[in-house]
Amino acid sequence: MLVLIQALVSGLLIGGIYALIGIGLTLIFGVMRVINFAQGELVMLGMYLAWFFFTRFGLDPFVSVVLCMPLLFLFGALLQRTLIDRVLDALPQNQILLTIGLGLVISNTVMLLFTSDYRILSTTYSSSSFHLATVSLSTPLAVSFLVTAGLTALLYWFLLKTETGAAIRATSQDRDAAQLMGIDVRSTSRIAFGIGSALAGAAGALIAPTYYIYPQVGGVFTLKAFVVVVLGGMGSVVGATLGGLIIGTAESLAGAYLSSGVKDLVVYGLFLLVLLFKPAGLLGKSRV
Amino acid sequence: MARNVLSLLCVSLLTLAACKQESGGAATPSGAAPAKSATIKIGVINSVTGPEAPIGESMGNGINLAEEDLAKAGIKVELIREDDTGKPQIALSGMEKLVTRDEVIGVVGPYTSSSSNAVASRAQRYKVPLLVPVASKEDITKQGLTYVFRLNATSEAYSQVVIDEALEQGENKTLAIVYENTDFGTSAAKAARDYAGKKGLKIVADEAYSKGSPDYRSTLSKIKGTNPDLIFMVSYVADAILLMRQARELGLKPHAFLGGGAGFTTNQFAGEKDISENVLSSTQWTDDVSWPGAKEWAARYRERYKKEPTYHAACGYESMRIMGLAAAKAGGDRDKLQAALKSGSWSGIMGEVKFADYDGFTNQNKHQMLVLQIQGGKYITVYPKQFAVGKAVYPFPGWK
Amino acid sequence: MRLFRSRQAWLGLLLIACALLPALIKSPYALHLFILVFLTVMLGESWNIIGGFGGQYSVGHAAYFGIGAYTSMILLRDHQIPPWFGVWAGMAIAVAVALVIGAICFRLRGPYFVLASIAVAEIMRNGALNWKGLTNGAEGILAEVPPFVLGPLHIDFVGKVPYFYLGLILAVMSIVANALVRVSKLGYYLQAVREDQDAAHSLGIPIALTKNTGLAISAALTALGGGFYALYTGFIDPAGVLGIDVSIQLVLVCIIGGIGTVAGPILGAVVLVVLSEALRSNLLASALFAVGVPQGSAIGQFLKTNLAQAHVLVYGILVVVTVLFMPDGFLGFFRAIVSRRKRAEANS
Repeated sequence: MLVLIQALVSGLLIGGIYALIGIGLTLIFGVMRVINFAQGELVMLGMYLAWFFFTRFGLDPFVSVVLCMPLLFLFGALLQRTLIDRVLDALPQNQILLTIGLGLVISNTVMLLFTSDYRILSTTYSSSSFHLATVSLSTPLAVSFLVTAGLTALLYWFLLKTETGAAIRATSQDRDAAQLMGIDVRSTSRIAFGIGSALAGAAGALIAPTYYIYPQVGGVFTLKAFVVVVLGGMGSVVGATLGGLIIGTAESLAGAYLSSGVKDLVVYGLFLLVLLFKPAGLLGKSRV
Repeated sequence: MARNVLSLLCVSLLTLAACKQESGGAATPSGAAPAKSATIKIGVINSVTGPEAPIGESMGNGINLAEEDLAKAGIKVELIREDDTGKPQIALSGMEKLVTRDEVIGVVGPYTSSSSNAVASRAQRYKVPLLVPVASKEDITKQGLTYVFRLNATSEAYSQVVIDEALEQGENKTLAIVYENTDFGTSAAKAARDYAGKKGLKIVADEAYSKGSPDYRSTLSKIKGTNPDLIFMVSYVADAILLMRQARELGLKPHAFLGGGAGFTTNQFAGEKDISENVLSSTQWTDDVSWPGAKEWAARYRERYKKEPTYHAACGYESMRIMGLAAAKAGGDRDKLQAALKSGSWSGIMGEVKFADYDGFTNQNKHQMLVLQIQGGKYITVYPKQFAVGKAVYPFPGWK
Repeated sequence: MRLFRSRQAWLGLLLIACALLPALIKSPYALHLFILVFLTVMLGESWNIIGGFGGQYSVGHAAYFGIGAYTSMILLRDHQIPPWFGVWAGMAIAVAVALVIGAICFRLRGPYFVLASIAVAEIMRNGALNWKGLTNGAEGILAEVPPFVLGPLHIDFVGKVPYFYLGLILAVMSIVANALVRVSKLGYYLQAVREDQDAAHSLGIPIALTKNTGLAISAALTALGGGFYALYTGFIDPAGVLGIDVSIQLVLVCIIGGIGTVAGPILGAVVLVVLSEALRSNLLASALFAVGVPQGSAIGQFLKTNLAQAHVLVYGILVVVTVLFMPDGFLGFFRAIVSRRKRAEANS
């Protein structure tokens, strides 16, 4: 029983991070219909930024989230403006290729700058934990989960209550109609890509104290984010939140009750099943 | 269309030209006087970048010191270095390049078991002596490959020595094994499994993990549920740190944490004082061991690199030194080098080295492994008795 | 000279030139480069059948590559069946798997198809990692290749030359297969599906059959390539033959060369292999120094140590540039230049 609860808790905490990455991906997809294969690389950038600020200036990774998010926002908006924007009307395949190419460029540039060594960020609390009854929670993961929850709540508020948020939602529902309604679709896309990147960057900074950091680490997150987003329904922010938590938990349970080797097998199996039987996902509208 | 084909032809001709130039450039020096050239070309395959880079750096430093010592002894070696980034495929193509393009007389390396295992049969095929400094998978020297030599003890010894030490300390009945699923991890885990069987230890958890997804919480909580007396882990650098971090996080408290060398014997690991304190690990070498020149060499290493020398550095050093000495005797001939390695014996910082055939091994050095423990951020040799300089802290006193 | 006007004659000439190469070049490293080019051509052409003609962007072809590689290596290891026989079994399994995957994934379109194809390949990779009894897990399979004996013919797969000719034959085979598919009914159907699946359907083209046939041929050829790779390297592991990098590389070859054309993957393979090897062996850095970049400067040092690792970066840049500025790849780019010049000639 203890193992079950422990696995559930650990899974949920990690799932929060997956959710954050997934939300970024789903937001970008919703507004632009572009699947961003470089999403994991943006997470990786967040990790390296946090690592850089920590080793160079002694800045706590949780504090550097505040720096990572705007930096990644600008980077994402720039990518959208200079590159992604040009292929918005191209075949979806070409959009995918462009983001694959961008991912390769980003990860390999980082590799040239910082080599492919695995970095470990050691803070004073990296291995500390606290106990709730008999279940132990990793302090950094718990803190990052709280920050994630806060960011998600903030994002919901932004999407529901602000004009820009409404524009994003309108554009996700129907790009052409939104344009006809006088929404500046281009700038909305830029903002959406910026926010998507910022969320990825935040996720990166948040797990930096507990993960290891290397240039190719993004691939893992890109694939996970796909699973999360398809599970929740492409374009659905609530779906991605849910999807992240489910995937995190499923992974953790598979690790505890089967073996750590089959964790990914379970995740991809789940992914394929959803694609086959409910391609619209748990909360998405069918767009197949 | 014809133009397209023409352009294709041009491109292939260009390629050809480039290759010719390349190979021509490399072939001349050795081609002119292959037997009696002044400098000896030796290949080095190491994990300079990638996940194993911190260990690769130590091994590389050791090799550099050997190069200097060889030069002092009047033996000029030219080292041609290949980085395998920890991947066997890249080690293979590096080996191809060293042998066919650079025409080295012998090769020292690679670091990891997977790379060494892949490269070994290639060395035999090309009849190029390969001296493996520190990779431990048994098979490497158990396939009758006459051109493959190994300095270090194999994974069987890694597992046995540290389990022996734990059993000597107190009564232990159960063992949990966590290991990376590549060659090094699986071979060490297998050895641990076999040895535990012999010693009457019950294996309560046996978990392999893949590199690259460092969330072991579910695995470790499963292990915690089985409450093992001993936990034996076989991991490279980053995973060793994260495994121990998460073990602390979840509050695992066995009688002892046992590490199988590699990631558990790096400076980085020792530096993580919150989690590395009191961990026992097997090792090929320590800086306080009584083998000839070990202490002086360690001091020299410290002065030069401002870091603690690990066994990887010592193994790299001794392998390159032996390779250089033997190569100088062989005068640039690969077969003579093979014979020189086979018949020679050396004494140095790794103790007596002799490549012998025994127990199904070919060209395997019978090396005594040691056990060290991290005490106050420092590695202290605690086993076997004749080499021990300190007493092991046992049982594991709990987390700070 | 009239003879050389025709395409076939040019190709024939090129082929003869290639076949004579080993007599001219003795450097194993140069031969190694050619073998890499042949393998890459072959894989690009294989993917091109379903991805280029059919417009079904599979980013999961590593699954078939891996099946070809694993089947031939496992048969060699466990039953001493040489790879040139074993690979046929690999191709058959790849076709069978392709039909299953096709039945599953072809129901999905566009981005969903891409994601499903990735998922299938990842399941294969994880399967290979976990099914240790069969695949030896992450440790991979290492095997020595026996000599090929047929009557008086005795080929030792030790030097590079046998691989060179084998690679050449396989590359030519895949090129021919592509050319045949292109002009066949299947090829027209595939292209119709690519242009507009719904319109193709209303014209009475059997969509599912067309896609599945295309995928089956593509999978079989990819598996053959996988078998050749395994034979050549003598070592395979899940990350090396089933990883997503492999899948992506196949797509890149076609995109960079020119998608949906027979010559595109050839061009793509030459560009990619030459470029990445030139970077890897520091040819490019030497060239930069030769044109006057100071070698001792900080920049020079940086270039020297880093350009060797930059080949994947260059892949990435090439892809971005191709997608943005040359959607028809290098081939389309050259063609456009040629036709522009022709038009200019006609006008003047």
